[in-house]
Amino acid sequence: MFSDLSAQREGSSLLCRPASEDQGPVFERTSLDYSPRTERYRVGDRSFNRQYAHIYAARLMEMRPLLSERAKHKWGLDVHIRKLCDLETGEQCCIVGTLFKRMDLQPSILKEISEEHNLLPQPARNKYITEADELILEDELQRIKLEGKIDRDKCVTGSVIAIFGAEKNDGKFTVEDFCMADLPSQTPRPTLSCDKFVLLASGLGLGSSRADSMLGLQLLVDMVTGQLGDEGEQSGAASISRVLLAGNLLSQSTQDKDASTKAKYLTKKTQAGSVEAIRLLDELLLQLVASVPVDVMPGQYDPTNYTLPQQPLHRCMFPLSSVYPTLQLVSNPYGANIDGVRFLGTSGQNVCDIKKYSSMDSHLDILEETLRLRHLAPTAPDTLGCYPFYQRDPFILEECPHVYFSGNAPVFESKLIQGSDGQEVLLVTVPNFSSTQTACLVNLRTLRCEPVFFSAFSADEDEESEMNISH
Amino acid sequence: MDELYLDNIDEYVNDHNKIVTYKWLSLTLGVHVNTAKQMLYHYLEHKRKESSPQLHATYLVSGKLEDKGQTCHKVSVVREEQLEDFKSKMSLVVSVHVYSVQKALLKDSGPLYSVDYDAIKDNLKNCSRHSAIRCAGAVPMSAMELQQVQEIQRAPPSAPENKKSAMNGDANMASKPSSKPQKGIMGLFANKSAPKNQDNSKEVKPEPKEESPVPEAPKSKPAAKSSPMANFFVVQTKKSEKPAEKQQEAQLAIASEQQHQRTMAEEPAAVEPHKETKTDPRSKTKRMEESDSEEEKMEKKKRRRIKKPQPDSSDEDVIPDSPPQMKTSEPSPKKEPETVQHSHTSSGTKIRRRRKVLKSRTFKDEEGCIVTEKDYVSESYSESEDDFQRTKQAPRNNNKAKLPSSSKDNDKKTQKKSSASSNKGSKQASIMGFFQKK
Repeated sequence: MFSDLSAQREGSSLLCRPASEDQGPVFERTSLDYSPRTERYRVGDRSFNRQYAHIYAARLMEMRPLLSERAKHKWGLDVHIRKLCDLETGEQCCIVGTLFKRMDLQPSILKEISEEHNLLPQPARNKYITEADELILEDELQRIKLEGKIDRDKCVTGSVIAIFGAEKNDGKFTVEDFCMADLPSQTPRPTLSCDKFVLLASGLGLGSSRADSMLGLQLLVDMVTGQLGDEGEQSGAASISRVLLAGNLLSQSTQDKDASTKAKYLTKKTQAGSVEAIRLLDELLLQLVASVPVDVMPGQYDPTNYTLPQQPLHRCMFPLSSVYPTLQLVSNPYGANIDGVRFLGTSGQNVCDIKKYSSMDSHLDILEETLRLRHLAPTAPDTLGCYPFYQRDPFILEECPHVYFSGNAPVFESKLIQGSDGQEVLLVTVPNFSSTQTACLVNLRTLRCEPVFFSAFSADEDEESEMNISH
Repeated sequence: MDELYLDNIDEYVNDHNKIVTYKWLSLTLGVHVNTAKQMLYHYLEHKRKESSPQLHATYLVSGKLEDKGQTCHKVSVVREEQLEDFKSKMSLVVSVHVYSVQKALLKDSGPLYSVDYDAIKDNLKNCSRHSAIRCAGAVPMSAMELQQVQEIQRAPPSAPENKKSAMNGDANMASKPSSKPQKGIMGLFANKSAPKNQDNSKEVKPEPKEESPVPEAPKSKPAAKSSPMANFFVVQTKKSEKPAEKQQEAQLAIASEQQHQRTMAEEPAAVEPHKETKTDPRSKTKRMEESDSEEEKMEKKKRRRIKKPQPDSSDEDVIPDSPPQMKTSEPSPKKEPETVQHSHTSSGTKIRRRRKVLKSRTFKDEEGCIVTEKDYVSESYSESEDDFQRTKQAPRNNNKAKLPSSSKDNDKKTQKKSSASSNKGSKQASIMGFFQKK
């Protein structure tokens, strides 16, 4: 654990007079091998002329052989794997296709703008699932309704699965069992000799009207850069070899555009909230990059494109910190090989989207589900904005990561899961810093994750004070 | 260790009534952060022994905390009164040190943040100098390395997209095939109109560079286009200089000019004449569209290069466009940085140009029917049209003279209005002829 590491030293406490020598100890930041794997998520020439059918076709084409193998493995080598057009009534067989969940509450732009219904736009809801939802399996040519032993509420549109069952007389397919593509193969990670940490944080929420979390953020930066704490802690902090900021560096309030609601003469000279927030971010990053390599991923409220994969933030926004080579502006989703340990993760939009359209509530469970489905964002492009890829679906996991994370979760959770082929993955849901003041430290040697909690005092904690914290 | 710092801290705390955090002290006195923490502690002890006016301190406590079965590393800033309480809650205390010293009791930790923020802001460049960790890789890149990084960033996207200027290498490669066909055109028409061609050839030669950013950008466009483009240039050598209205070329030129404008002004001198030569082979409508959209961009570009267009005006043998084009393109970019006089003279010097004019010609075809066709015919500019231009410039310059000190926005608006009016004027040829005869 990080605390144990830091407390090992029996060095002098800082509650003493300064010693005669001028300089305090200086520790070297542990460096590590780093190679990013972000070419998959870079979208070069963007053309939105295509329809989204291509991405589904590419997805099915790529996942079909994998699922056929899994099906054979699970239900015997002689199981019939049929296409939907070849189905015979009553025959037990296996079909492979993309799931589609038809939900009544799913926001549909066509319904909204249709005048005959006279509908007002639907207010945003927490969950869009109802009892009347239907599951349908689609393959290249046909679709068929599903019923039976499949948990409709847990499934989401866009997942490619294999189903074992039979078609009944009424044209629906009765499910007896199903299987997912499960974890891909994993290259074993090298054994490390000493403890090295990677700090994961997300949801910094700069530029918000509430400034409560700023001291916590400052404490985080000070701890990582080695200014905070006594010698033991500083030497422990020197083993933090990388910082990964997983999205939502700006707060949601910077996205409110007065320009659209207020009159133009009132908003003419006002700057967007994100301008000041980016300046704050640049200063914060400057303090960090002068001391540790940082990877910055964009999130839902950051100034980059909306559709996944989000392209990296542009370096012109960070004039002070982009001078340092330690600043890496990366895409969302992001994959990298840090000292032999494969990291893969997103800023959380995929998990939040699945949460809205399924009955699962825990970000960690959803994260595990996406790993088992072998797809980062199955709901893209149905309900999650996505670029219309043509011949590839970059969200399919080709190699199993060692650390799989998603940002902006409400709480910190982590779990180590085992795959059927001996894969070992650490799942981490990185909590939103502006609300929880918590960051995560991943130990690369042991593949464990530990939360780090920052707090400051405020008038609230005093029993006798009547001051209100200004929110 | 000399005890001067005690007096320093005393001054800050008591006289200036500041909140002295360890970070602020370390940056102000230029000492290691741990030394600063120790200094603060020493100061506190010293003052408390002397029982001088009340001082309050905040401490930083960090350690392991067991919370609902999960251990976490907790780092917190606490008031002095809460220190022991916090320490007792933790299962393992890693570090404790003085965070800040101040005269007043702090209810809220907000001011601590603002003090640190101010301290950092004043010392942005070396905020890590006094920290306890050094990172070998964190050295700011020099300007050369920065440029390299920028180019690397530009190079991969430029292949699929054409938003940025390509590398010079690509540019030179692209310019060669394009300049050759152009010279071929010159060669073909050497007999017909020698002076004109010489003008053109002169323009072509000094312009391979200027063209380079332009053709490379479109040439780096989807490869499918590049071969028709090359073919197009080749074809053009065979045809007369009659500019065919080809959509491709129009788009090419529009794209090229937009991209050219987006490049940093490497050869600002040739932007204007280059633009005008490029607009030759295209239809008037296309030209006008471009100029409208590019007007603002040109203005912005020209604002940066205030001095440079001046030497240009004397060198170039730029073929001016048809009068409306001249108005929109030339005066609009030039008005802000330059004086009225200059724009007048510069426009005046651009006299000798070839121009494509929409003319209708009637002829008899095979069946003996008389056919009227509208077509572009190149025509050289003559003196009469200079006067025409000058008279057009005069009212325009008056406009400018009236508004020398107005804001740029207003200038732009007048520009656009005058350009709009001049555009309208040009369509009604008869009215212009009216002025012309003066």
